[in-house]
Amino acid sequence: MATWKSLLLQDSASPLMEQLSFFHDHTLLILVIITILVGQMMMGLFFNKYTHRYLLEGQLIELIWTILPAITLIFIALPSLRLIYILDETINPLISIKTIGHQWYWSYEYSDFKNIEFDSYLIPQTDMKNSSFRLLDVDNRMTIPYLSQVRMLISAADVIHSWTIPSLGVKVDATPGRLNQVSFTSNRTGLMFGQCSEICGANHSFMPIVVESISPKYFIKWISTMIEI
Amino acid sequence: MSEEAGKIPKPLMRGMLHSQIKRNLIITGINCILAGCYMKFIFGNGRKAKYAEFYKNYDIDKEFERMRVKGLFDSCDPLEESDD
Repeated sequence: MATWKSLLLQDSASPLMEQLSFFHDHTLLILVIITILVGQMMMGLFFNKYTHRYLLEGQLIELIWTILPAITLIFIALPSLRLIYILDETINPLISIKTIGHQWYWSYEYSDFKNIEFDSYLIPQTDMKNSSFRLLDVDNRMTIPYLSQVRMLISAADVIHSWTIPSLGVKVDATPGRLNQVSFTSNRTGLMFGQCSEICGANHSFMPIVVESISPKYFIKWISTMIEI
Repeated sequence: MSEEAGKIPKPLMRGMLHSQIKRNLIITGINCILAGCYMKFIFGNGRKAKYAEFYKNYDIDKEFERMRVKGLFDSCDPLEESDD
């Protein structure tokens, strides 16, 4: 999860997010080079005392500053296209989970298993424990088995929401009347947090998402418990 | 009149902006290459190495058990005996 001093992306919990993170590093490399180039040029201007009084045109420099950005964009576009196609690969999922966005909570449905459904509300500050994360913890967490491909089907009941888990590299709009699909797998066990990412009204900031990534064995036990309830 | 004494070398009269630009471009180019090398080999490859190191000895079941007995998961009973 993000802490107060997090500047860059969260640590990845899925292989796709790892690739996104590496691509971000690659793009940041190019941006740093451009920033140093432009910054140093500007600093040179600050300390310059000379003037080219007869400057009218510069065909060579015009050519350079047209061709160079085009080459730079190719360096960004090729890895980006590679990643887009990797993200779009269809891998047979082990389990399908539906999530519906409401104002202002998420509901989850595990239709593979005797229709398990529950709502997930933010835990208000008055009900928080000392170990809870303020404005991030929910009463009923979504549970997934680790090292298993999970298919999420996302929709909404009222206005547009967005289901996000940064450490899994997932951000999908929940649009009423539409079913969006995303697939991911968790390489790590633990808790993964996210927040609604599409403005949806007064409590848009207060409908977080928590995913528990647990052992498949315990996941089956949890499913059995939920079926009995 | 002595023409030998008092002769100074001809001062630089022109091309000062041009030489300054050339010098600045070379320095900028070197800085860009150094920054690029740092970002690629230290920052970028460092992150990849950290991930590789993390997953090399990562025992996911052990980590899960460690978290489960602490009661971090709502879906798992922390007091339940592990079957492993």
